Order: sequence, then C-alpha cells, then structure tokens
Amino acid sequence: MARDKWMGAVGVVVVLCYLVPYTLLSNVVAWYGSFLFWSGAGVVVIALNIFMTRPFKEHDRD
Amino acid sequence: MTESMIWMAIAIYLSVSVMIAFLSRQKGVESMSGFFLGNRQMNGFVSALSYSATTYSAFMMVGLAGLTYAGGVGALGFEIIYFAGVSLVAIFGPRFWAVGRAFGFVTPSEMLGFRYHSKAVALSMSIASCIFLIPYCAVQLAGVGYLLEGMTNGAISFTSGVLLATAIAILFAYVAGIRSVMWTDSLQALVMIVASTLVALLVIQALGGFGELFDTLAREHPDALTVPGSGLFSLTTFLGLSIPWFFFSLSNPQVSQRLFMPASLSAMRQMLIGFMVFGFVYTLVSILWGFSALTAFPGLERADLATPTLLGSDFIPPLLGVIVMVGILAAAVSTIDSIMLTLASMLSRDVYAHVKSDVSEKRQLLVGKFVVPVIALLALGFAELQLDLIAVLSVAASSGLVAVVPAIIGAFFWQRGTAFGALLSILGTSAFVLTMYATGNALWGLPAGIWGIAVATLLFIGGSLLTTPHAPSRVAFLDAVNDVLAKRR
Repeated sequence: MARDKWMGAVGVVVVLCYLVPYTLLSNVVAWYGSFLFWSGAGVVVIALNIFMTRPFKEHDRD
Repeated sequence: MTESMIWMAIAIYLSVSVMIAFLSRQKGVESMSGFFLGNRQMNGFVSALSYSATTYSAFMMVGLAGLTYAGGVGALGFEIIYFAGVSLVAIFGPRFWAVGRAFGFVTPSEMLGFRYHSKAVALSMSIASCIFLIPYCAVQLAGVGYLLEGMTNGAISFTSGVLLATAIAILFAYVAGIRSVMWTDSLQALVMIVASTLVALLVIQALGGFGELFDTLAREHPDALTVPGSGLFSLTTFLGLSIPWFFFSLSNPQVSQRLFMPASLSAMRQMLIGFMVFGFVYTLVSILWGFSALTAFPGLERADLATPTLLGSDFIPPLLGVIVMVGILAAAVSTIDSIMLTLASMLSRDVYAHVKSDVSEKRQLLVGKFVVPVIALLALGFAELQLDLIAVLSVAASSGLVAVVPAIIGAFFWQRGTAFGALLSILGTSAFVLTMYATGNALWGLPAGIWGIAVATLLFIGGSLLTTPHAPSRVAFLDAVNDVLAKRR
C-alpha cells in the first residue's frame, strides 16, 4: 500500500540520520556537513508526510 | 532591558491572552469531551499551532539552544529524529480519531482500557503518565525561572518566574478548558515564530552573516559542527536521547489526546503538516541561537544561559528581546496547561471513575477541574529543586513514557495483544526506567532511553503470549477502525 511505502521511506531517512553524520560527515567541519544533512532530512520528512496524508483529504469528501 | 519593561510586557501578554481565552468560550464545555476535547470540533489551523506550542516549550528555546551550545550540531540531529517520529501521526492519527468518535474516548488511557478490556490498564497508564509528566512540567517551569533570572540579572528571581508561569497556566486551563488552551497556544506560537526568527536573523547579521558564523565556528569551535564532536553527543548518548523522542507523538498523552480532537481528517492533516513546517523553522532557529551564543559568548558558566545571554545582549533591540522572553514564558505555559488538562482528564476519567462506581459525567468534570491546580502545585515543587541541564531531565520523562508505546501499537496492529501484556509492559518498563535513573542510568553501558522501548516490547509480547486476548472488545475496536479506513480508500 502507498502509505506503507512512504512510511518505509521515513524509516530509511531516520536510519541515515544516525549513520551518515557519525561516519561520512564526522570530519566535515563546515555548514555543508552534518548541519546541512540533518536540515535536508527535515525537509524530506515534511515532503513524505504531505504525500502520506493525501488520502485524508479524500476521506472527508466521501 | 529594564525590569519595568519586562513586567509591562508580561502585563500586555496576559491581557491579550485572557481576552482570547474568554473569546474562545463556546457552549457545551460542561461535558468531559467539551471541556477536554473541544467537542472534537477543532479546526486544522488552531490545532497545528497549538500542537506546536504544546510540543515546543521552554525546552526548545532554552534547552535546545543550550544543548547546541554545549554539544554542537548533534542537537539538530536529535531534534530531526524526533521530528521524523511525528510521522507516526499519519499512521495512528486516523485510527485514534476513528475509535474516539465510535466509542467517545476522552483519554488515550481510556482507549487502551477499552481495547484490552481492563480498567487496570487504563489506571496504570494514567498513573505512569503522571509520574513522568509532572517532572516534565517542572522542567518547563524551571526553564522560565532560569530565563527571567538570567535576563534581569536576578531582579526577577527564579521563584517569582516559576510562580508566575504556574498561575497563568492554571488560569488558561480554567477559562474554557482545552479551547482556551488551544487559542492562547495559537497566539503564542504565531508571535514566537516571527519574533524568534527575527532574533536569529539579527544576531547572525551582527556576527557577520551565515557564512561568517560557520567560519568562526569551524575555526574556534570545530567540534560543534560534527558528531560526536566534543563528546557530549557520543553515539550512545545520541541514541539514548533520540529513541524515546522518536515515539513522543504516541507516548505523550498531551499530544496523543490531540488525535481525538480534529473536526475531520482534513483538519488532522492540516494539524500534522502545519506542525511540521512550524517545527522545522523553530528547530533551525533554536540551533542557530545556540551556535550564535557559542560564537559570541564562549565562556558561559552554564549552557542553559545561552538563550538569556543572547536575548539580553547588544545584538537584539531591547523591545524584541523582551517580546521573545515573554514568548518563552508563554511557551512554557502553553506546554504546562495542556499537560495539566490531559493529566486531569486521565485522573478523573480513568482513576476516579474506575475506583468509584457510577460516576456521572458532571462529577468527573468537577473532579478533573479540582485536580488541575493540584498537578500544578506538584510541578512547582519539583521546579524549586532547580535541577541542571534542562534537556536531559526532560528526556528522562520521555524514556519512561515509552512504556505505553508497544501497547498502543499493539492495540491497532497486533490482535494477539492482551491486558496482561499491556499491564506488564507499562508497569514493568516504568519501574525499570525509574530504577535506571536512580542507579546512574547505565546498564551494560547503555542508558534507559535505549533500553526502554526494547524492555517494553519484550514485556508486552511475552505477557500477551502467556494469556488469552479478550475477543469482543478487540473485534469492536478494530471494526471501528476498519470502517473509517475503508471509507478512506
């Protein structure tokens, strides 16, 4: 189901939020390191939630 | 900024808020769902702002900025993982909403009590929530205390600040229950998002711009831009902080109760997305405050002073500093009044009405209203203990509240879940987390925040497999959910 797919994507984002800053970015001393990565993750989460809750609108129109 | 200016700002904030609280009154608050749920008719916009105000408290502007000051960018990661956890609302929101309407649930604990056909489950969740959330309220009050004391150089004492916030929270909760709380929350959230963003922009500009701020950090505090950085955000600590917060939207009844309130699923969607946009901006602003304070005032005695120092500095016009400071006071109030109402509704609905038989709706409401100030006074007592580093204590509450998460997930997604499993999980995990905190918060090197969810899940599954589920309540409960979801497809 579509909603599960979006939720799975949120799960992937969360795992990356732990993995990437503690490995790949642990030596990047700049704004484009962990700061940018986690900020980007926040934007992605918002987008995923917009997609995930689209059916809520249809519910009320029935 | 003078003391009289601060008192003047507080007076203006109070007058406007009280006016809004009274305007929010509506007929029909003399029932439990009227007083505590706004008759399940809240619109999306107010719900979004109020959800934000309830979640983001003094912790955010004082605690998160302080955590950034002390430990660097890891504070952002921690908050973003919490943020991703709010996506659980997209899964559980419509389900809570559906059963709330079908069975008239007022509290999440009442919902669990019905699903597992057990008064003891409802009762234990209510009591566990009180044990962990009253200290959490205290953390918010202490935030206000630090802030007012820090910004006025002690002219307004810690105790005066704490007393003031408690009195305002009781007032807002009494005028029209959740409606007055949500409307005053909305005012606070709107003022705060504008004012705090303005502060961040002004400070960053004064420090030479965004690029210069980060260049200075890279030069003088390189640890602040990476994890584990200076060591505060070791992976273990980071996991211990962020895992409980990931489940915040389910584990904390003052926000999960909100899932019963929207007038429609569209309103719930607006609440969720609105909250996320608001929360994202607010998070970045708080982190930038912490970074700015670290650049401009690197030698502060305590990290919690980062925000007060910044607001009292020459970077900020005094008027804006005062507005934000009163905004932070209001943020603490908006969190505390919601928690007080939720705990009061749980204590009257799930404790009092279960212990005494045949309690009328009117009587429950009366008891609920009586409990509100009692909770406030308990929180006041804890706040006076003046514990250090606000964020860490607040996370202790979150670790404990995780106890209810498996029982909530199981209610909707695991037919085999039983009352015994739920009870064992809630009581066992609460006792486990309390013991962990009492004995230094480390078991085989890992904190309660990491253990909590694992212990709760094991106890829930183990206890459920040993006993038989109550089929009729499960069937009725899941049928109500399926009716709504089927309509959605």
